[in-house]
Amino acid sequence: MDELLDNYIRFLATLTPAYFVELFWFYFVFEFVRYFLLEFVVLNLAKIKSIFNKSNKEDARRRLFMENPLVSILIPGKNEGKHLYKLVNSLGEQTYKNIEIIVVCDGSDDDTPIIGRSLEKAGLIDLFIRNEVRGGKASAANTALRFAKGKYIIHLDADCSYDNDAMEKILIPFFEDERVGGVGGNVSVRNYKESLVTTLQGIEYYNTITTGRTVTSYLGIYRIISGAFGAFRADVIHQIKGWDIGPGLDGDITVKIRKKGYKIRFAQDANCLTSVPNTFRKLIKQRLRWDKSLVRFRMRKHKDVLMPTASFKLLDFFSAFENITYNVILNFKWYVYLLIMLTFYRPLFLNIFITNILLYTTTNFVKFIVYSLYREKAHNSMSYFLIYLPCMVFYFGIYLRVVRTIAYIQELFFKKSYQDPWNPRKTSVHAKHLGI
Amino acid sequence: MKQIAEHKDNAESVIKHAGFSFLYIRNLSPIPVEEVQYHSAVIIEVKNYDFVRLMVSSIRANHSPDIYLKPIFLLKKDAQDQPVLDELSDGAIKGLDELDLVVPTVERISTRVQDLTFTNSISFEAQVITKLITLLYTKEQKTVEPFPYIYSNIGYYFPLLSVNFAQEEETVALDILKIAEEEGILRSDYYDRVYLCSSCSSNHLSYREVCPKCSSSNTTPDDIIHHFPCGYVGPMQDFKNEIDDKLDCPKCNKRLRHIGVDYDKPSVIHECNNCNHKFQDYHVHAKCLSCHSDKSVESLKSTEIMSYRLTKKGELAAIKGFVTTTKDIDEVIGTIKYDTFKTMLKYEIERLKQTEGSSNICAINISNSSQVYSKLGSDLQRGLLKDLVSVIRSNIRSSDVIAFESSSTIVMSMNAIPNKIAKKIIGEMVSLLNDLIKTSFEDLDVLFDTKVVALDYAKTHDAHLKELISDFS
Ligand SMILES: [Zn+2]
Ligand SMILES: [Zn+2]
Ligand SMILES: [Zn+2]
Repeated sequence: MDELLDNYIRFLATLTPAYFVELFWFYFVFEFVRYFLLEFVVLNLAKIKSIFNKSNKEDARRRLFMENPLVSILIPGKNEGKHLYKLVNSLGEQTYKNIEIIVVCDGSDDDTPIIGRSLEKAGLIDLFIRNEVRGGKASAANTALRFAKGKYIIHLDADCSYDNDAMEKILIPFFEDERVGGVGGNVSVRNYKESLVTTLQGIEYYNTITTGRTVTSYLGIYRIISGAFGAFRADVIHQIKGWDIGPGLDGDITVKIRKKGYKIRFAQDANCLTSVPNTFRKLIKQRLRWDKSLVRFRMRKHKDVLMPTASFKLLDFFSAFENITYNVILNFKWYVYLLIMLTFYRPLFLNIFITNILLYTTTNFVKFIVYSLYREKAHNSMSYFLIYLPCMVFYFGIYLRVVRTIAYIQELFFKKSYQDPWNPRKTSVHAKHLGI
Repeated sequence: MKQIAEHKDNAESVIKHAGFSFLYIRNLSPIPVEEVQYHSAVIIEVKNYDFVRLMVSSIRANHSPDIYLKPIFLLKKDAQDQPVLDELSDGAIKGLDELDLVVPTVERISTRVQDLTFTNSISFEAQVITKLITLLYTKEQKTVEPFPYIYSNIGYYFPLLSVNFAQEEETVALDILKIAEEEGILRSDYYDRVYLCSSCSSNHLSYREVCPKCSSSNTTPDDIIHHFPCGYVGPMQDFKNEIDDKLDCPKCNKRLRHIGVDYDKPSVIHECNNCNHKFQDYHVHAKCLSCHSDKSVESLKSTEIMSYRLTKKGELAAIKGFVTTTKDIDEVIGTIKYDTFKTMLKYEIERLKQTEGSSNICAINISNSSQVYSKLGSDLQRGLLKDLVSVIRSNIRSSDVIAFESSSTIVMSMNAIPNKIAKKIIGEMVSLLNDLIKTSFEDLDVLFDTKVVALDYAKTHDAHLKELISDFS
């Protein structure tokens, strides 16, 4: 142990700035520049903008309540009956009142139809539609959309819960800028105390959603409106003719809205809590699906945004480019880095490995503490997460990376997502045939 | 002149045959129902069923046994079945030359009528029950079956009973049957269930699927179609085009080809043409054709229809006369219910097991009650019973209780006194009662039987009661 420490201290002593970059370029270029420096700068800019924007925002809120448009809340899903009563009750608590609730039961085989019908009868749900045969998430959302009468459409997941001002907060951006076509809400982890894997996801959601989307939204390259909490202008969503078949339909519909020339905003103050997978095994299943959809939608269905065609838009290009670079390419680049280090710096590998861990962990701590200043009121106590932060480098840097690699390979070379039982086979066949 | 014509009419209407006088009522001839009592039987010519129904009903609904018990025969050429009319009448003939065929029936009914005792019943319920059981007895019929009947307000008709009620009061028949069952006169079996209007108890309802929002029945159903390739979902209407009758997807413009392959129909949606509300789960409303109320089917009164059989007790009640229902005598002040009396007796027997002492139960029976009651109107009957109870009450201790075992038997407890003394008190009571009747009711002979039973804790309360009333028939 002592020997190891001696060896490591000697290694540190040899590090000159140039040598540091040579050994840790991966951390430096991708993690430090993109995920720390850039984010830090943008967070400050966003903060400044929001201070200057304050009266504009208040004005937008006033106009929202003055106009008081009907807002359709769509809740599509399969076997979600058990969550419905709680959800519908919490929607009754919302500060924004002019809502209609449409629940679509997509071929549920539990007692969802009974629960839904009784809630409809009691007047707690405006419309309950039961589709006997499952059609998949997109078709369920489209069913609800078809019967929605609201000027705005909010898409919710039945197993999430919402702050009582969340609907109001997610609607305000439409009144701040009339070119906004869709707004994503902020999603945090409700069951972060359940297990190690949920705690780590709690931290991850802070980084990638609360902070990450604030940054991409400011830059104009925000790309995924979560299905758990997203708001759309009804005319816009009708223009793009609703949801196409998933998985990854959240990202897909966002791209389609962007392509029509509308802006997408992230509303950090519109809070939604979701339950995340509580074991590593379940998490793998979820992430394989998500990661495959990135390939499927970015690189296959919407590859046109990367091409210099007539409808080319710089921000759309950047949005897709950034997404692909920092996920797909970066993911493979990491293996390149690993290979280079193992090949050319073999004697130093242990030291390089330790340094990387220290670098990432330090960054994680700094980010977590500093960025918490930029987050609005949070439900979860920040201090709870601190002791788990050292695990993040393994969770995010290794576990999720391996899962992602598998997903990319499966999808790039085997188009595995078309076999995902998440969609009924009857629809996947067509999606594969159409190459979407 | 007029009188002669009438007389002539009547002469033609009366047929003497085999020693009986038949009143022949021709189609649409205006013969007053009172006429029936002067004849042995009635023959009604069947041409117009409305007329026949009217005639038969007015005879059976009459309050006088001389009219409502008369045999009725239908003279019909065709053999059309009219179950309710058949139940209300006693047979059918094809021509007046077939009169011989019904003579045995007339004989039998006339004989059986002789067995009956007609008392004045205390209550309306008791009167109607008397009518029913005497009819059953003379017709030698044991069952009271419900008939599905379109002229019935509640859907089912108990001909011999329901005939007493106007259409809008028919549910009273159900109440009466229930009372008769509680009295042990009828026994019931489940037959069917009907749903009745909550405002007017009518069964004449029109059921419709209505919009859950505005209750309009003007709704149109439409299949929902899911187009697999693009995920579009909407009513079939969305897929229709103006050129041909093929279906095209409004989202991706593709033609729908093969159900199950490129599209399916996961559900059905209804659209209200009145308020445009869309819904899958329509409400079902029942519109009452009698009172025009239109309410959800959940508000309808679910009512059991039973079929009934006459019990031995019911048959006896027909012969001996049925005076009161338990409900009537329960209302006499100063008495408790017979069931309560039984329970208290049970406790007294239990008490005697623990303590030394002697207690008694006593009974006073009006042995000629049929005679007595037939002389008195229902108000006077009630008055008599009240008087009897008040005399008894003033001669027993306040801790002792009185109950009616039947309309002719009063039972009471005499606790914690020797048997000899109880007998003495009963004797004094009877002479007091006789005095009372002499002063209050002129020319009324009331005969009393009495019985006193000393309680024996080795025997059950049922055994005691059996012994107490066994001597009274
Ligand atoms: Zn309607
Ligand atoms: Zn289509
Ligand atoms: Zn009615």
